[in-house]
Amino acid sequence: MQQHNLWEILQKNASEKEIVWLTSKSTLPNKGIQTAFVATPRFISRKPLVAENTPFETWTLDRLARVYLLMCLDSSDETAYVDLLETLFDTAEMNEAVALYVALPYLAYPNRWLLRATDAVRSNVGIIFDAIAFHNPFPKTYFNELAWNQLVLKCIFNDKPILLIDGLEERSNQALADTLSDFAHERWAAGRTVPSEVWQLVKGFVTETILEDLKLLQQSNRQEDREVATLLIHNS
Amino acid sequence: MCQKHNEFTQNPSHFEGSQEEQATANLVELDYKEYIKDMKFFDPHIHMTSRTTDDYQALADAGVVAIIEPAFWLGQPRTGLSTFKDYFSSLVGWERFRSSQFGIKHYCTIGLNSREANNEALAEQVMDILPLYLYKEGVVGVGEIGFDDQTPAEEKYYRLQLELAKEAGLPVQVHTPHRDKKKGTERSMAIALEHGIAPEMVIIDHNNEETVKSVLDQGFYAAFTIYPFTKMGNERMVEIVKQYGSERIMVNSAADWGISDPLAIPKTAALMKIKGIADEDIRLVTYQNAITAFAQSGQILVEDFENPVIIDQSLKYNGNTILRGGQQPRVNKDSIFIR
Repeated sequence: MQQHNLWEILQKNASEKEIVWLTSKSTLPNKGIQTAFVATPRFISRKPLVAENTPFETWTLDRLARVYLLMCLDSSDETAYVDLLETLFDTAEMNEAVALYVALPYLAYPNRWLLRATDAVRSNVGIIFDAIAFHNPFPKTYFNELAWNQLVLKCIFNDKPILLIDGLEERSNQALADTLSDFAHERWAAGRTVPSEVWQLVKGFVTETILEDLKLLQQSNRQEDREVATLLIHNS
Repeated sequence: MCQKHNEFTQNPSHFEGSQEEQATANLVELDYKEYIKDMKFFDPHIHMTSRTTDDYQALADAGVVAIIEPAFWLGQPRTGLSTFKDYFSSLVGWERFRSSQFGIKHYCTIGLNSREANNEALAEQVMDILPLYLYKEGVVGVGEIGFDDQTPAEEKYYRLQLELAKEAGLPVQVHTPHRDKKKGTERSMAIALEHGIAPEMVIIDHNNEETVKSVLDQGFYAAFTIYPFTKMGNERMVEIVKQYGSERIMVNSAADWGISDPLAIPKTAALMKIKGIADEDIRLVTYQNAITAFAQSGQILVEDFENPVIIDQSLKYNGNTILRGGQQPRVNKDSIFIR
């Protein structure tokens, strides 16, 4: 997503006064943009965006404005640029943190943000985890297999909808499929269930053990379990 | 703390009501919530960092819809800037999230507390990072600041922070000392006025019978902390409201790591109701006055907690409730089974 697209959506959603404020801040030196990022909700409303079929359709206007401001930072000096963003991360309140994590795909020097991104996966704050996990292309592009699998597993463990993860199918792998089988066994032993959509992740990685799991799943009293199991056995 | 418990209960040190009132109070003690079941409360001073999740549950059950957590001393002095920074960040981050899980709106005030102002080398560094936090969403004041031992260092950082508050247009939440309270309170007010801060932008905290008159007469807000043994009892609080009315008076719990009670406000409201204080006066001192005072920051939107269905649009993705961070599931605490 290019900067001008984002600007178009901003123009469509913001008032004249808000656009004037954003324009005046976006041309400031980095330090001024940093302060504007923090102060954004004092000048930009928190209303949900009208932005169908864009990556921003679930965002609020203040969040988009914050991401836009970050894209206006001068990144020519890597050390200064990274330091400034690290300070924002270190001192972020929740909505600032969310804006920072959804902005990761648009920041310069993507490899410098890997630790931040995996920290967000470790977060127990729901909206911060969601910011990195859902509709965010950063993990699928930059996470190694271990980090990717943690993201998916934590999502399942917390009963969150994995289908909102960007790159779910293309990043599925054998290690993840094996871990899911173990996870299902734990849940079943505890008398709990596994959401049926989780089984889509074993597609293409059905081992003997997983095949047994799927056969068991065909006897589940939930229709969606039986359907997904039959489909996977048929395709394996 | 109170070894001779029987002796203590037989000789309540501050009981002000009649024998009849005492009998009624004892009768209703077990179901005081009956008296406040349609009320909602705002606690403008509570240190949830030091409390458990059970307390959030209890607050929500008792009708507390929003709280302010002032930055304070954690029980032992911090030794570096990073721990201050992490603490401030937790007040705008983790604690805010924890609170939201129970449907309680969490605000905070940010400041360098008086005790730790005495470590000047560290205090200087803390002053440098305060502006980063003061402009954040939901930061409704500079606090709690003021005097503890009333040292020159405490005065220096109190004055510097008053200037920060003035510049940011934020209210000031002033801690008054336990020792030499009356003089400390007068001094805190005089200094605020000297810095050109309007008295209605200053909330003088931890008042008692000795300080309240002067605070109100000079136009400041007077907050009362209902806290066992060391601060106000709620029976005394009822007498204060009877005598001074409800204008610019607010109660808080200041619940922290000490023997304190996060339900101090609902309990005090119930006692006021039992003792015949008008509903509107109860609403003012347990809810509205705190909102009026701290909303001068421009950071309080009453819709955020008066509309109990969806608190914040930015916390909702596609109407999917599990993604808002999800309200915590209820646990039956009396059950022997843990599932």
